[in-house]
Amino acid sequence: MQQIRDNITKAILSLIDHKFRSFLTILGIIFGTASVIAMISIGEGTKKQAIAKYQDLGVSNIIIRDKDMTDAELQTVRMKFSKGLSVEDAKVISDVVPGVVSVSPQSEMKMEAKVGDRSAKASVIGVTPNIVSILNYRTAKGDFLTTDQYDRQLKVCVLGASIARELFSYDEPVGKSVKVEDQWFEVIGVMQPKALFTETVGELASRDLNNDIYIPLSTFNKRIPKVNPFTSDVKQLTVKLGNSEQLLPAAVVVRSLLNRRHFNNDDFSIIVPYELMKQEEKETRIYNLLLLSIAAISLVVGGIGIMNIMLASVLERTQEIGIRRAVGGKKKHIMSQFVTEAVVLSVAGGIIGVILGVTLSLVISWTTAVQTTITLYSILMAFSFSVIVGITFGYLPAKQAANLRPIESIRHE
Amino acid sequence: MLIDIQNLVKDYQMDSVDVAALRGINLQVQKNEFVAIMGPSGSGKSTLMNILGCLDNPTSGVYRFNNTDVTGLNDDELSDIRNKHIGFIFQSFNLLKRMSALENVELPLMYAGIDKAKRMAMSKQALEKVGLADRMKHRPSELSGGQRQRVAIARALVNNPGMILADEPTGALDTTSSMEIMDVFKQLHTEGNTIIVITHEREIAACCKRIILIRDGLITSDTPNLN
Ligand SMILES: Nc1ncnc2c1ncn2[C@@H]1O[C@H](COP(=O)(O)OP(=O)(O)OP(=O)(O)O)[C@@H](O)[C@H]1O
Ligand SMILES: [Mg+2]
Repeated sequence: MQQIRDNITKAILSLIDHKFRSFLTILGIIFGTASVIAMISIGEGTKKQAIAKYQDLGVSNIIIRDKDMTDAELQTVRMKFSKGLSVEDAKVISDVVPGVVSVSPQSEMKMEAKVGDRSAKASVIGVTPNIVSILNYRTAKGDFLTTDQYDRQLKVCVLGASIARELFSYDEPVGKSVKVEDQWFEVIGVMQPKALFTETVGELASRDLNNDIYIPLSTFNKRIPKVNPFTSDVKQLTVKLGNSEQLLPAAVVVRSLLNRRHFNNDDFSIIVPYELMKQEEKETRIYNLLLLSIAAISLVVGGIGIMNIMLASVLERTQEIGIRRAVGGKKKHIMSQFVTEAVVLSVAGGIIGVILGVTLSLVISWTTAVQTTITLYSILMAFSFSVIVGITFGYLPAKQAANLRPIESIRHE
Repeated sequence: MLIDIQNLVKDYQMDSVDVAALRGINLQVQKNEFVAIMGPSGSGKSTLMNILGCLDNPTSGVYRFNNTDVTGLNDDELSDIRNKHIGFIFQSFNLLKRMSALENVELPLMYAGIDKAKRMAMSKQALEKVGLADRMKHRPSELSGGQRQRVAIARALVNNPGMILADEPTGALDTTSSMEIMDVFKQLHTEGNTIIVITHEREIAACCKRIILIRDGLITSDTPNLN
């Protein structure tokens, strides 16, 4: 114990004596450690972002979308007897498919919304009140649509966070009215902000959910005229299952059910966000592994840097080693002296590297669109890896120092 | 008997040519002797001394130190003998540049596994003995040649080895410093230590009780010094 403490003190003093050289030696370790942490933080952040995106879509949901079609295609499909996606489809799925907890149909239309002289393009979405539990919708102010309002086909609406800000600035929207095209809707609530999903998920086009205006589907069907008489009644069905294991079997049943009901017209698509999420996780895992191995290589290069300078230092200190041997130092003493130096170096490099890596991750988070998540395991991993590298590459020079012959090393100038 | 050497031979390999440095040395030294080794340059004095100090191995022959055959010992056992029973002094002092006098003297004690407090006390005592009580914190570069050699002596005797081997300890010193060093050796001798000194100088050899002459790797004369 005493011996180890002496060794460490000695190593630190010797390294301080060569400040600049010591710093150069550990530069590689510093950058290696820092890049491992930064890489893992970026990887974790990206993963978290991706998961948030899918969680907004529901990890135990199946989404069925009415396909976007040209007027001509639409006409053909109707002539082949398909009515397109409908509220009856929702009912049948809810009744027939095993594992279904609830189904929410919705219609959509891009429209101009106005308040006073402010106006903005919004996605008006007709929904059923049970969408709240299916997609985990939460209001920041006021309430979501109720069954009563749905049944009475009231002209009420809930605004997405961004559209509310755009139309009302800092005024209180709840209780006021919004004019959508030529109809007035009373605002009963404002949604909490949602994760942007800027990329297309499966066949789900990217859109900003914060720009949505939710109204009862019943009101939508009654008040908002179709642009094309052939357009399906419903744009989307969101099907909630009891758990994610039931997703794939349910998706198969839903597909065959709808194929039959739509006379094999292939006018809908089925999206299983959970499967897409797993897919993406797999892809990012490979990508992360690649980034991590690059960082690890830089750590090893840092280790070679340590070995290089340690070898030079052994050469430079040959006479010192000889003197230590002459007064009774054993091979193991010389060995541990040099290994301790390598360890102190790499621990110092590791600590500075951790600080740098954490700082780097935070700076990336603040200054770029890339989200980073600093995890304890990445810090521990990077740090212990840097120490292992230091010991491994410090071993060879130490061995060489220990094996010098005493009398020859004393004479060495 | 402290040292018993029989027919000791040391060859150096130089570019596949064997150079015979020692060609059959026989030598016995008792405890508390004070021996000078003299001889021309290249005659093998240092070679013999390094073997005596367990810093080097002979090519053949027997070396018994304290009645143990040293040639059969492994590296760790030899290190232990150097640490506990031999104090070695070199012409070029061989102090560690980046350490203070005190730390230099502590070095053998550290390898002996003695704790810090005791090390400090023993080292201070050794430095006081060689008259350097007021120079303990100085680094070698801040000391004169004579002072450096006295630090080296303190280092050699700090672990109470009983035997001091000095290879031209005064070779780099002026006459005054040389005599100061020899006074220290005389003192150590009266305290019961065995001392072997290599020297080229008559005045130094005159301080010793026995003078050995070496020429071409052989002992050519071995006489007591009576004055
Ligand atoms: N490491 C070595 N390799 C090869 N030859 C050596 C080595 N060391 C000494 N020798 C040779 O061995 C012989 C004896 O050398 P040694 O150093 O013992 O002489 P010395 O009596 O101490 O001389 P000096 O008075 O100059 O110190 C010399 O011929 C020398 O060249
Ligand atoms: Mg010599």
